[in-house]
Amino acid sequence: MQYSQQQSSQRGRLLNQLARAICFLCAILLIAVIVAVFIFIGAKAFRIFSEGGNLKTFFTVDNWDPTGVYDPTGNGTASYGAFGLILGSVVITLGSIIIVTPLALFTAVFFTEMAPKWLVTFLKPLIEIFTGVPSVVIGFLGLIIIVPALSRLVTPFQKQLGILGATGGFGWGAAILVLVIMVLPTVLSVSIDSLRAVPGSVREASLALGSTRWQMMYKAIIPAAASGLGTAVVLGMARAIGETLAVAMVLSGRNLPQKLLSLGALFQPNVNVTQQIAQNFGEAVGTVSEDAYWTLAFVLLVVSFIFICISRYLASRSVYK
Amino acid sequence: MSIHSVTPSTLSPAEKQRAARLLDVVRRLNRNNAIASSLLWVVTMLVALVFLAIIVNIIWTGFPAFFASTFYTATTAGIAKELFNSFYILILSEIFLFPISLAAAIFLVEYTRQGPFVTVIHFAAETLAGVPSLVLGMFGFLVFSINLHMGVSRLAGALTMLCLNFPLALRLFEDALNNVPREQREGALALGATKWQSIWTVVLPSALPGIITGLILTAGKIIGEAAALLFTMGTNNPSEVFTLSPFIASDTLTTRLYYLTQQGINTSGLNAAGEAALDAGLAATLIVFLLLINILARYVGRLIQRKLTAA
Repeated sequence: MQYSQQQSSQRGRLLNQLARAICFLCAILLIAVIVAVFIFIGAKAFRIFSEGGNLKTFFTVDNWDPTGVYDPTGNGTASYGAFGLILGSVVITLGSIIIVTPLALFTAVFFTEMAPKWLVTFLKPLIEIFTGVPSVVIGFLGLIIIVPALSRLVTPFQKQLGILGATGGFGWGAAILVLVIMVLPTVLSVSIDSLRAVPGSVREASLALGSTRWQMMYKAIIPAAASGLGTAVVLGMARAIGETLAVAMVLSGRNLPQKLLSLGALFQPNVNVTQQIAQNFGEAVGTVSEDAYWTLAFVLLVVSFIFICISRYLASRSVYK
Repeated sequence: MSIHSVTPSTLSPAEKQRAARLLDVVRRLNRNNAIASSLLWVVTMLVALVFLAIIVNIIWTGFPAFFASTFYTATTAGIAKELFNSFYILILSEIFLFPISLAAAIFLVEYTRQGPFVTVIHFAAETLAGVPSLVLGMFGFLVFSINLHMGVSRLAGALTMLCLNFPLALRLFEDALNNVPREQREGALALGATKWQSIWTVVLPSALPGIITGLILTAGKIIGEAAALLFTMGTNNPSEVFTLSPFIASDTLTTRLYYLTQQGINTSGLNAAGEAALDAGLAATLIVFLLLINILARYVGRLIQRKLTAA
């Protein structure tokens, strides 16, 4: 009797050790994956610089032609000037975040401080649903609604805006609007969380000092949640810069438009980093031009890593969590 | 509110002036408050309206396609193949994702104390969550398809999905485990159970509603993902799609929609109207799945909880 009890408790301890080891391996796997992502992509990222690419021209020249088919001399010389692509990603990310930030801030403040309960029970699921909307679906929406609408809006003013070719509504403008739809729910839900984390005593103290509700919101609540709100915006930017299909569907260009410094540049077929990878990487595999896309991927990887570090830093500074 | 109603007539003119100025300040503050409040109302309603309009619009546009006779067939004009592939990849991905991320969550919550190791794992998870899905797709292509010789296949796609959804699943499962009260674990340990026995018999059953909700939410992510599958699973089907073989390339509802909108009408074998209808139908199908998954996530967890607590 005693012997079998001992045996079963021994088996229990053994099982416990085994389970612990397996769980530990699974946790380690996560670190292995992210390290592998950096190693594998990083190892391929610098190859083009020994194949005719140049670090300076990569960031300053706008001529992305890794296959060399568009070479004006006809020699098929590849060109790795990614300035246009990077500029495209920066413009649409900044453009969308400039629209998203006030919208998300206003909505989040309303949501936590003013909204009646019935409205919250209706809006909360709506936001949650929208954080998961497939990016292809939003891209499709952009194609059937945003692009035609922008085309109708812009065509009468084509001369004034300095648009040379036909516009069709594709371009940075449409991409920014699509990104607003994609990013707003993320920024909004993180903002709501950080405003909710501000304790009620802050509100009560502010109101007890005689401030109006609006004073309470912008002089007490928003400063108290500032770093959390900053985290929300940075996370939104991280999402915006990596967003692919929705943006690719409404950009559909190959190069920057000719007159870059005009309002019309927003409404002509255009480029960014993710669009070029999505459209051309599949065909580039196995050819020399493949390496150029790994460099682009590495740039994206590093930029999003920087965004995550910034958001972590901001989150670590926040007083209320 | 007039000055006379709040200031007794015995006040000196200077005092009356001061009272008037104070009332002015109060009035201005109240006016600002009213303006700001109505602005907040308007902005929020606008945002909500746009979101609602988007959902209604996509379903409305795709609604006619649901009744087309060809829509559910395994032809170019139908979605039968894509539907099968989407659910196949969902199940295959969850087979990897669910046990691995649950085990990782168990380790973090149950087996180890808060410390540098947990911080490193959380930092890794956040970093991985921030990697664009397109870049992870390229990574999956390089590692699974090329280096591990899986080719462009469902298996490579599912493993990429594991990398992509690991951080989200980990966070959801960690939350589920953290919601189990400490006393339950202590009770089990006090009865002489090993750590694993207390996890298996006490913690996991109590955390089940949260775990199921997490499972459903990651399922939504997998169904909606496209960028990570473009290079790992391809956008074309072999002639024999309805097999359980994980080694064939295949498209899904999302990659099919992307492929159709990017390729001209000439390559898809459909006329313009037919393709537009199919696009709209695919988008509407995806939105319907998204809504279903959200409703499920909301109610299944609660239902299980009620069953468990009533039993």
